[in-house]
Amino acid sequence: MSTSLNVKVGNVSLKSPLILASGTCNFGRELSEYYDLSILGGISSKGLTIKPRNGNPGVRVAECASGMLNSVGLQNPGVHYFIENDLDFMKESGAGVIVNVAGHSYEDYIDMVTTLDPHKDKIDALEINLSCPNVKEGCMTIGSDPAAIKLITSKLRALTDLPLWIKLTPNVTDIKATALAAQEGGADAVVLINTLMGMRIDIRTRRPVLTNNTGGYSGPAVKPVAIRMVAECSQVLNIPIVGCGGIADYKDVLEFMIAGASAVEIGTACLVHPSLPVDITEDLEKYCKDNNVELKDLTGTLQRW
Amino acid sequence: MNRKEYRIKLISKEFLNSDTCYLGFECPEIASNAFPGQFVNISAGTVFLKRPFGIASVDKENGIFYIGVKVVGKGTSEISSFEPGLMVDCLGPLGKGFDFDGYDTIILTGGGTGVFPINFAYETLTSQGKNVIVCEGFRNANQVILNKPSYILTTDCGDCGIKGTVIAGLDTIDISEPSKTLICCVGPIPMMKAVASWAAEKNMNCLVSMEQRMACGAGICLCCTVKVKDDGPDGFKNVRCCKEGPVFDSREVVW
Repeated sequence: MSTSLNVKVGNVSLKSPLILASGTCNFGRELSEYYDLSILGGISSKGLTIKPRNGNPGVRVAECASGMLNSVGLQNPGVHYFIENDLDFMKESGAGVIVNVAGHSYEDYIDMVTTLDPHKDKIDALEINLSCPNVKEGCMTIGSDPAAIKLITSKLRALTDLPLWIKLTPNVTDIKATALAAQEGGADAVVLINTLMGMRIDIRTRRPVLTNNTGGYSGPAVKPVAIRMVAECSQVLNIPIVGCGGIADYKDVLEFMIAGASAVEIGTACLVHPSLPVDITEDLEKYCKDNNVELKDLTGTLQRW
Repeated sequence: MNRKEYRIKLISKEFLNSDTCYLGFECPEIASNAFPGQFVNISAGTVFLKRPFGIASVDKENGIFYIGVKVVGKGTSEISSFEPGLMVDCLGPLGKGFDFDGYDTIILTGGGTGVFPINFAYETLTSQGKNVIVCEGFRNANQVILNKPSYILTTDCGDCGIKGTVIAGLDTIDISEPSKTLICCVGPIPMMKAVASWAAEKNMNCLVSMEQRMACGAGICLCCTVKVKDDGPDGFKNVRCCKEGPVFDSREVVW
């Protein structure tokens, strides 16, 4: 693989800017039936909690224009099961290992980081999920409040040397305020963005399509929102940004990087085309060769009007 | 590698009734690897997500597999308007199919679009010389598709076959050795629930093919979960219809 795709997110070196987004790849095992995961910069694990979670009941997905709503609700086997059964697989895949950490309270996040820190030799970064819209407590509740973001980030910062990437919600008035709060708390990077809260209604029954009533909107439709937020935050942050939201081809990756992202996460598009990262990787290599550039040099090169 | 993801050609289409069509796609890999109960995920025109369809038949020699599509929404409407020659994206074969091993007689039962996977199971089992009994239920005579003279047929209104649900049809079967007989059901949830109870009363094993709204079909998004019994604190766990299923032991399902 060409070195022209190598990027860094702070101190974390990745062979490619492409990271599989949390919640769209489980722990990578299923996708290894489709392609060699070692082409990836990283895999962000399914959002993990201390105890296993069954997630939300009923209908969890609704098709939308150029995307989908989901309300999975952080179904996961629990962090202890993950460490026993999935962490080694992720490490051996050859992709960077990003562990997505979720919780319902400050204590949950602290427990999670304390549990994962002893396995730091197998982990490249912790992605702190302060943005899941599909659980009643924690996550987005904390992630909507800059003071809470700063506090939880600083508490976790004191517990580990592992890079802390704070994944933020777009469901706020001012994304710069929440991103700056993460930086002030000691984050190594921010991940922008998680899903946008949405609803669809069955006009026949007048009930929401999702049994959880609301869900998170993702897919190509949300890309302009994510690009705007990356560009805005890029102007005020000193820490790197991992861009996420609606990526479906190599040009989308370039857009995010020009807007200010050091790396990107791809998710919903892989639900439609599981081996899409193979195509995007080839296209990015060709782009770099044709234009005689290294991808990392594109970050933050936006020329505003 | 790039396994299980193909760009394939639609080569035949016929309407079985006013809202259901039967499509043939050229894909030797799927035709030769598919097993009854498995499904494919097919791109559906302008809609975002692929749509899952149980495999209805395979022609290994010519590398063709068939699906049945009943128009229920935008995705199925677009797929049913596809014309032969069109190239579509497809994942498959996906999921865990039926395990028929260890039984002398297999009863296949179902209705609705469930008749398509039943057709594939029937063709596979008869080609292996197994003893197969098929019992299918429909609302009325107009809905009857893929029927064969040897099948037990039921309709809700009784305008053809036995009047009643598939249970009325199943009751006509003489089951001499329940432990050597497997019943497989593909149909609407109330039908599968009723068949599961009927099989349990007779101490027969029963496999059901569950359906859930699906996004990826590949086991990575956890959108299509089915509730199954579990010893854990919740008494159940959510497992993926697309990966651990769609075929489940009826006793495992939390109905």
